[in-house]
Amino acid sequence: MKSVVQLKDEVVAPADGYRDATVDSGARRVITVAVAGNPNAGKSTLINAIAGSRLHVGNWPGVTVEKKEASFEHQGTRIRLVDLPGTYSLSPYTQEEIIARDYLVQERPDLILNVVDSTNLERNLYLTVQILELGIPVVMALNMSDEAQEKGYRLDVKGIEEMLGVVAVPTAATRKSGLDQLLEAVVATAAAPKLRRPKKLNYGYDIETAAELLARELALESAPLLERFPERWLVLKIMERDEHVLRQVNFGDEALLERALHHLRSEHGDDVESLMAEARYGLASGLTREVLRKPELKKTELTEKIDRVVLNRFLGIPIFLGAMWLMFKLTFDLSKPFGDWINDMTGGPFKHWASILLGAIGAPDWTVSLATEGVISGVGFVLVFVPVIFLMMFFITFLEGSGYMARAAFVMDRAMHAIGLHGKSFIPMLLGFGCNVPGIYATRTLENPRDKALTALLIPLMSCGARLPVYVVFTGAFFPRSSGTVIWSLYVMGIALAIVMGLIFKKTLFRGEAPMFIMELPPYRMPSLHSLCVHTWEKGKHFLIKAGTYIFAVSVLVWFLLNLPWGVENRKDSYLGQAGQVMAPALAPLGFGTWQAASSLITGVIAKEIVVGTMGEIYAPKKEEAKQEFKPFGEEVKEVAVSFGKACRESVSNVVSTFGITSLDTQEKEERSALKGMVLKTFTPLTAYAFMAFVLLYMPCMVVAFAMRQEFNGWKWFGVAFAYQTVLAWGMACLIYQGGTLLGLGG
Amino acid sequence: MGFSDLVIAAVLVVGCCYILYRSLWQKKGHCPGCDGGCDRSH
Repeated sequence: MKSVVQLKDEVVAPADGYRDATVDSGARRVITVAVAGNPNAGKSTLINAIAGSRLHVGNWPGVTVEKKEASFEHQGTRIRLVDLPGTYSLSPYTQEEIIARDYLVQERPDLILNVVDSTNLERNLYLTVQILELGIPVVMALNMSDEAQEKGYRLDVKGIEEMLGVVAVPTAATRKSGLDQLLEAVVATAAAPKLRRPKKLNYGYDIETAAELLARELALESAPLLERFPERWLVLKIMERDEHVLRQVNFGDEALLERALHHLRSEHGDDVESLMAEARYGLASGLTREVLRKPELKKTELTEKIDRVVLNRFLGIPIFLGAMWLMFKLTFDLSKPFGDWINDMTGGPFKHWASILLGAIGAPDWTVSLATEGVISGVGFVLVFVPVIFLMMFFITFLEGSGYMARAAFVMDRAMHAIGLHGKSFIPMLLGFGCNVPGIYATRTLENPRDKALTALLIPLMSCGARLPVYVVFTGAFFPRSSGTVIWSLYVMGIALAIVMGLIFKKTLFRGEAPMFIMELPPYRMPSLHSLCVHTWEKGKHFLIKAGTYIFAVSVLVWFLLNLPWGVENRKDSYLGQAGQVMAPALAPLGFGTWQAASSLITGVIAKEIVVGTMGEIYAPKKEEAKQEFKPFGEEVKEVAVSFGKACRESVSNVVSTFGITSLDTQEKEERSALKGMVLKTFTPLTAYAFMAFVLLYMPCMVVAFAMRQEFNGWKWFGVAFAYQTVLAWGMACLIYQGGTLLGLGG
Repeated sequence: MGFSDLVIAAVLVVGCCYILYRSLWQKKGHCPGCDGGCDRSH
């Protein structure tokens, strides 16, 4: 007798795409609903509105395309929502399309929830037409119906249902309207899938005749294929010569295909794929004409009015630069006081409390040093950047949600083509100025693997915020009157070298033109605060968790490297100091061949700001911990609260005040004055500038390295970045120092 | 440095190496920020 498991394995889902919903351990029905739709159709907003905190964010297996899932109960039915990547079609051109299609074909969800932008019906219906080919029951969310109504659009919902054989529900996800009706439709459709049969759309006499012929031939000669895949979908894909499908089904019977397509080819030529695309577009267009009534446009719509200015060939780039300037200003001015507050707290009261706590439990002295100088300092470095990251993500989310980011990509497209990329690559590079890590993660918005890799290779050349403390210390010491200009020159150096490297890569590793892509310009809209917060958290928490985990562990390991061999008196003799001594000769031609500079650069690999921290530790005289005076606990708690209030006030006043590097406040300058004194003794203006250039350009920090590894499933592209940046940094610093010396600037 | 110090130090170093191993190697491209959501449960 066969076991239950064996029997279960033999069950094959029926070829028409229907299957019965499963039941969970509590004998409730469990239905799997795949959510499919175009990008910007409001899919994420709809899912967030439905699932809320039950939403689980992960990655699709083997790739870095985001996967969202939620499981919840509605009217006694357990619904498992699986969010597919936003796509315009189910053709195998992008990773997202392949993921969405493979899931629908292989996993056979009980139902597809097709999210459609009601204000852009015709374009969205192209995907719908392809979804219907799968034969899986479809519930259509006519999303943004409120916006459609405001525009005066009249949608014939019944007509859509009748023509497509779907259940259509008008929704407005931003207002959470229509969601209950949508879920009811989902449950009802899943309960009676055979009653809600999607219509088989007619692609025209010639295509349908060929499809029927091929289906008959397949039934005779490759019947098992028709059991494994939805019949109509498989037939159409074979007719299109979809290589991905042909490989998957191992179809190689050219004679059979030729027999089926003979008439079609003789009438319409060899390009059956284009013919099918035309048929689908025709259906989408015809259906739209049938079900949508638009008012006569008497005046230009708001979006068009704004776009006339924003996309103007002369004004576009200045407006974009202005918007970015404002975003950076707001991000850094608002976040800096909070970053400083966290820095003060981790450097003061938290260290004090940790040492008291460890002392109270009788922990060895060295563990106190490890906790305060290693763990708290290390993790503190990450926490200091949390306000910057979250605020930056908030503004980026706002710009994305408002529709402006798509315009920015459009405006920058021509400039980016010069280095073999298109405008969409500019956004991750822009993010790199705040922190390279979110920039690397943002490359996942690029469809093409070539663009992703090239953009990621150039992002580390964008001077991130972590390099700023190094610049501040050195320019404050050597260029006090022109520190702003010197720092600006370093930012420009990064951009200029990114252009040069882009051109070099375009002619070597990434030969060929940047692929064309259609830039969608969604209408301007005001994103809701809830949606902004949810998306900001989703983007920011990755940084928090990932960076926190890595840096916590690495901080502890670095502390050991600075304190081993055990009991080492002079940091020069520690393992890290010894490593610095080994590396120092290689830096001699650059003008800073000391073990201190080399050790700082080694630890800076973890995070660039650690260069300053390590230098501070190396150059600072030994602290007499016992002589330090601490305030009583209650007073310190009060100080924490008071200083937080001060940070809030400072944050607001920073925004109100005119722009400038006001956030680099005097307190920070005073704290670093001792280090500046030591730096003045060991560097010259020329070596200081060469050192800053080296910090800007040398290998990406460890968090970027791990981000690159995760985004590209391996170390290959990080290896390339490491190699070229090391050569570039050494070459530029050498050029600056040796060139400057030849010009007599070395004194 | 006594034997107990040595043990504590070893535990800490091994623990940190394990955190790095788990976060960076074991997950192979999956994000560590979402333990259950990386499709391993299905």
